[in-house]
Amino acid sequence: MGKLAGKKVVLLGERDGVPGPAMEACLKNSGADIVFSVTECFV
Amino acid sequence: MDLQNQQRVKDAAEKYGSENVVVILGSSDAEGAEIYAETVTNGDPTYAGPLAGVPLGLAVYHVFEDAIRQEADPALWEEQIGMMEMVLDTEALAKAVAGMREQYSKYAI
Repeated sequence: MGKLAGKKVVLLGERDGVPGPAMEACLKNSGADIVFSVTECFV
Repeated sequence: MDLQNQQRVKDAAEKYGSENVVVILGSSDAEGAEIYAETVTNGDPTYAGPLAGVPLGLAVYHVFEDAIRQEADPALWEEQIGMMEMVLDTEALAKAVAGMREQYSKYAI
């Protein structure tokens, strides 16, 4: 069991950093329950 | 942090319990990452949003911290995040968020 298994995960991505969907894709098999994922941008 | 997202984080903590929620950041600069991490642990430092004066103490990590990287699918990591990992100062980002977590988080993974 991974450390994120069963956790409610909030992904706060950034357009110029790592966007939400990229993190979501990488963690989809971690057992984490992704509550929501966003990508903020500061322009 | 966007006021709407502050509300969503607050709602998630209330719904699932602060001990069960983990926030993962993808910020590109250490200063911004620090403000985000402070917002979800000690409350909104700008006193503008729903988390002003609300110290949720959530477990917060930057996606580049080892604890999170180890949980990611290695092939997808390379495909989705590998490029940004080369151009961003991953060490500074990880350190900025870890610093806030050590100071204000009540939980960790």
